[in-house]
Amino acid sequence: MPTVDIDPDELRDLTGTEEKSDDELKDDLFGLGLEFEGRTEDGAFELEFAPDRLDRLSVEGVARSLRYHYGDSRGVHVPSTNSADWTIEVDESVPADRPYVTGAVIRDVDLDEESLDSLIQLQEKLHATMGRKRAKGAIGIHDLTMLKGSAATEGNPTIEYVGVEPEADTFVPLDADAEMTPAEVLEDHPTGQTYADLVSEYERYPAIYDDLGLFSFPPVINGRRTEVSTDSRDLFVEMTGTDQWTIDKMLNIVCYALAARGATIEDIEVSYKDHDLVRPDLSTKTKTVPHERIETILGIDLDPDEVIDLAERSGLEAERNEGEAGNLVYEVTIPPYRVDVLHPLDVIDDLGRAYGFNELEPCYPDVGTVGGRHERSRLERATREQLVGLGFEDLLNFHMINEAENFERLDVAPGSDAYGAGEPTTIKEVYSEDYTMLRTWVMPSLLMVLERNTHRSYPQYLSEIGFTARLDDSENTGVSENRHVGAVLASHDAGYEDAKARLQALCRQFDVDLETPPTEHPTFISGRTASVVIDGEEVGVIGEVHPAVLVEHDLEVPVAAFEFDLEAFRE
Amino acid sequence: MQLPESQVAVLEAASADEATSIDALAEATDLPPETVTGAAFELEEEGLVEVSERVDETIELTDEGHEYATDGLPEVALYEAALEAGADEEPVSMGQVIGQSGLEGDAVDIALSNYARKGYGSIDSGEITADPDAEPTADAEANALEALADGAVGTDDDLEEVIDQLERRGLLEVVETTTRDVALTDEGVTELMGGIETTETVGAVTPDLLTSGEWETVEFADYNVEADAEDVESGTVHVLRQMSERVKDVLVGMGFQEMDGPHVDADFWINDCLFMPQDHPARTHWDRFAMEEPSHIDELPDQLVADVERVHREGLGEDSEGYHSPWDEEFARALALRGHTTSLSTRYLSGEEIGEIEPPARFFSVEKAYRNDTLDATHLLEFYQIEGWVMAEDLSVRDLMGTFEEFYAQFGIEDIQFKPHYNPYTEPSFELFGTHPTTGELIEIGNSGIFREEMLEPLGVDCDVMAWGLALERLAMLTTGAEDIRDLHGTLADLEFLRNAEVTY
Repeated sequence: MPTVDIDPDELRDLTGTEEKSDDELKDDLFGLGLEFEGRTEDGAFELEFAPDRLDRLSVEGVARSLRYHYGDSRGVHVPSTNSADWTIEVDESVPADRPYVTGAVIRDVDLDEESLDSLIQLQEKLHATMGRKRAKGAIGIHDLTMLKGSAATEGNPTIEYVGVEPEADTFVPLDADAEMTPAEVLEDHPTGQTYADLVSEYERYPAIYDDLGLFSFPPVINGRRTEVSTDSRDLFVEMTGTDQWTIDKMLNIVCYALAARGATIEDIEVSYKDHDLVRPDLSTKTKTVPHERIETILGIDLDPDEVIDLAERSGLEAERNEGEAGNLVYEVTIPPYRVDVLHPLDVIDDLGRAYGFNELEPCYPDVGTVGGRHERSRLERATREQLVGLGFEDLLNFHMINEAENFERLDVAPGSDAYGAGEPTTIKEVYSEDYTMLRTWVMPSLLMVLERNTHRSYPQYLSEIGFTARLDDSENTGVSENRHVGAVLASHDAGYEDAKARLQALCRQFDVDLETPPTEHPTFISGRTASVVIDGEEVGVIGEVHPAVLVEHDLEVPVAAFEFDLEAFRE
Repeated sequence: MQLPESQVAVLEAASADEATSIDALAEATDLPPETVTGAAFELEEEGLVEVSERVDETIELTDEGHEYATDGLPEVALYEAALEAGADEEPVSMGQVIGQSGLEGDAVDIALSNYARKGYGSIDSGEITADPDAEPTADAEANALEALADGAVGTDDDLEEVIDQLERRGLLEVVETTTRDVALTDEGVTELMGGIETTETVGAVTPDLLTSGEWETVEFADYNVEADAEDVESGTVHVLRQMSERVKDVLVGMGFQEMDGPHVDADFWINDCLFMPQDHPARTHWDRFAMEEPSHIDELPDQLVADVERVHREGLGEDSEGYHSPWDEEFARALALRGHTTSLSTRYLSGEEIGEIEPPARFFSVEKAYRNDTLDATHLLEFYQIEGWVMAEDLSVRDLMGTFEEFYAQFGIEDIQFKPHYNPYTEPSFELFGTHPTTGELIEIGNSGIFREEMLEPLGVDCDVMAWGLALERLAMLTTGAEDIRDLHGTLADLEFLRNAEVTY
C-alpha cells in the first residue's frame, strides 16, 4: 500500500492544534485510516493509506481531513478562482493516445523548503497512484515568470501542447547541463530511461512550448528553464494524459493543496480543435442518498439532523429531499477534490466513518443457513487420514515448479504417454526460473522434499494429495486441474512390495478393485513398474524409482512410489 | 528345583562357610544390588539362605572437623598466641592475644571454652595466662582429628573417650549402616548339590505362552521402564492442513458451505467481476502470474460480460459513476493464476457454479491463491486464503462485525478492531486488527466489507453480501507462534520441523 510522509509539526500548524502530542496525532490519523508505519530520517511520520482518498497525499490534505475530523471545519469549501489569462492550445500533432491536457495558474505562493518538498511529494504520489506511474496522467509544475507566451489569441498569453519528432528539437532537461533532443533524453537521461516505455512507441513525442521554445517533455521530464524553487512566486501547472477526468481530478488535488497554503488559483483556457475548456474544474457533484439505506448499512436508527451533521463533519453537505417513492433522501454535495465517490454507498461509508464504526455494537446476523464441506474436500480429507494412518508424513508442496524439476529430472518427456507427463500449463514472463509452470504430477515435489532431507532420519514415508494441472482443450479454461495421490517410501530396504502393500490397503479401505498389470515408465525400474488400475480404469503408476532418478536427486537409499488420480476413489 | 535366574545366581555365589555381603554378591553375580537383595529375601523365604543384618558404625568428620584437622584447633592457636605475648610469665590482656591469634567470630568462644578445659592456662578478668608446661602438640583431640582425616581409624579403647568428646564438640558424626550378609543354609547346600534349574524369564508374552498355560510358571523379565524408547516415524497431517481443517470445522459450524473452482482462471472472474478497474495497479503484470499457455479462456457468459463492462464504464444508474479506465473483453479473457479466491465467490454469486443462490446463504473456501510477492518470512508466492461471504437482505456493518468477532473468537482472538479501509469491490470496507494472544501486538488479521452494488448487480444479486478474507498462514502463525512462514509451507520443507510440529486442534 502507498505511504505518505507527513511532518507532524507542519500538520499541527495547518490544523491549528499545537497542543496535540505525537501519540494523539497518531491515534487521530489511525481513525482516518492513515496507519503510522514509522518515522523517516527527518522525523516525519510515514503513514500508510488505502488508495481511495488521494486528496490526502500531502500534509495539506491530511490537515484538511483532520480539521473535519476535529469538527473545526464543516461542509464543502471550494476555493475561488480568478478568471483565465493564459491559454493552452492543443495542436493536432499531439500523439493520438495521449491527447488530453489540463492546467492552472497559481499566484502568490510562498514556498519554503518544507512546502516545496510537500508539493514535490504530492506530485510523485499522484503519479504513482491516479497517474498510474505517469501512464494515465503526468504533472508538470513550472515557474510562471520563466514562461513567455505570445499574445496570439485575443491578447492572452498562449502555451502550446504539440507532438514533436524525437530528434526535431532540443532543451535542457532537469538534472542535466546540456541541450538534449527528446530521443537523447530517453537514451541518456536517468529519468528519461525510466519513463522511455511510455512514449517510445509514438511517432511524435508529447511536448509543451512557449514563445521561447520547448520547456516540458511530458510525461518524462520538465525543462530546467522553468524549474520551481523557493523563490518562485507564481506557478504554471500542466497535466497531460490519456483521460481528461483523471488529470482534471489530479489538478484539483494540487490546487486544493496550494490554496491551503494561501495561494490564489487562476483559471486557464484549454483550447482543443473542436471545443474549449476552462480549468481547473472545481464544480461539485451531487449524490442522492436514501435515509433508509444509511440506516440498514450502519444497522442503527438515525435522526435526519444527525445525518446532516455527519455529512458536514465528513466535508460534505447534505440537504433533505423527497425521493421518487416519497421516501426521505438527502442531496449530498461532493467537493471537487474527492475522486473516490462513485456511488451513494460511498457517501454512506463517509457518514459511518464520521459516526465512528467502532462505536457500533456488533451483532450476529439472525439468519439460519446449513453448513457443509465440498465433496472434493471431504474425499481429500478421508484419503489423507488413511495415508497418515499408513505411516505417511502428509506434505503440502508448491503447485508452481519448473520444467527441469517436473520432467527432466524424472526422465519424463512432456506430452508423452507416461503417467504424469501431461502438456504443461506455463507462466508468462516468469520472474523466477524456479517457477515457470504448474506441476503435472506430485512425484517431482515428493522427490524434491526427499532430496532436501537426506540429512534427516530414515525411513521417510511421504505422501501428498496435491493439485496438478495440464493443458486440456476440452476445458473452458484450457486447463485440466486434478488432484493426485502421491506417495514415496524411502528407506535402506524400501521395495516395490512396500509400496504395493500400502496401495492395496488404501484401495481396500475405499472398497475399490486394484489391479497392477506390468508397464513401462521412464521414472521407474523396468520390470518393477505397474499401472495402477482401479475399478478397471488405468489411473496411475507404481514402482521402484530408477537409480538414475535417485542419483539425480542425491539419494542413497531405494525409493518405492505410487501416484494416481484421487478421482478414482470418488463414488 | 527351579528358581528364577537372579536367585540361582545369588545361591551359587553364596557360601555356607562364611556370610557374604550383598555388595560382594552383586559384584560376583553382576546384578544390581537391589536385585540381589530382592533375590536374597526370596531365597530366605524358601529356607535356602540365611540373611543376617549387622550394623556398622563409621566415623565421618563434619565440615568443622575437616577444617580443624587442616588448620589446627582454635584453642591451640590461642595458646600459641598467648605464649608469644608472654602470658607464660604474666597475665596479658585477652584482647591483645585474641588479636594476635587471628581468631574471629564463633572460633573465639570455642577457643576460650576449650582453653581452660584442657588446662592451657587460665582466664580471669579479661586477662589470660598460659601454662608453660602444657603440651598442645600432644593434644589427643588434635591427633585423633588428623588421624580421622587421613582415614586411619583405630579401634583402641583409649580413643573412645576422645571420639565422644569430638562428637560432643560437633567435629565428627558416627554413622550407622546396615549391612546384610547372606550365607547358605544346609537346605540350600543340599538343593545346590541336587542341581537347580533356572526358571525361564521371558521378554514377551507369546501366543504359545498363553495357549500352553506356561504363563503360569514363567517369570517375566523386568524392563527398564524409565528408559526412552526408539523413535517411531509416524505419519502426521501437515501442520498447515490441520489449521485449514480447523478453520473449515469452525465455518461449517457457523453455517457456511464450501466452494471449489479453478486455480487457473480468467481475469474476468478474478478481477472484472469484482469491479476492479482494468488499470488497477494490482492488475499490472508485476503482481500476478499471467499464463503463457493457455493464454485466454474459451468462453465467458455473454450477458454477464456486457453487464460488467457497462457498470465499469457507466456505473449503476444516474447517481453512480463508472471508472475512467479502459475496458477490453480480451483483457478480461486473459488467464492467470488466481490472485485471490474471490474468483470462486464471483463464480458462485453469478450462478455459474451451482445455479442461482437464494438468500440467506453463507459460503466459504480455504484454497490456494497466487501472488508475485518477494519470498520472505511472511510472504509466499502461493498461500492459502480463507474466504467467506454471507448473503442476506439488509445486512449491516454490525452484522459483519458480529460475524467476524464470532469467527476470530474461535481462535482465541478477542477484541477485534475494525479499521475503515478501501477495497475497489467493497464499501464500507474494514481491515481487521486483533491482539496477538502471546505478544500482545496489534496485527492485521483480515480484510472485509460489504460487496458494492456495482459488483453485485451484474452478477444478478439484488440483496446484500458481506465478505472477508485472510491468509491461513497468518492465522497459523498467530495461533502456533511460528515465525517463518516458509517452515509451514512448500517444497523447502524440513521433515524434522513437520515431524515435531505441535498438533493443532
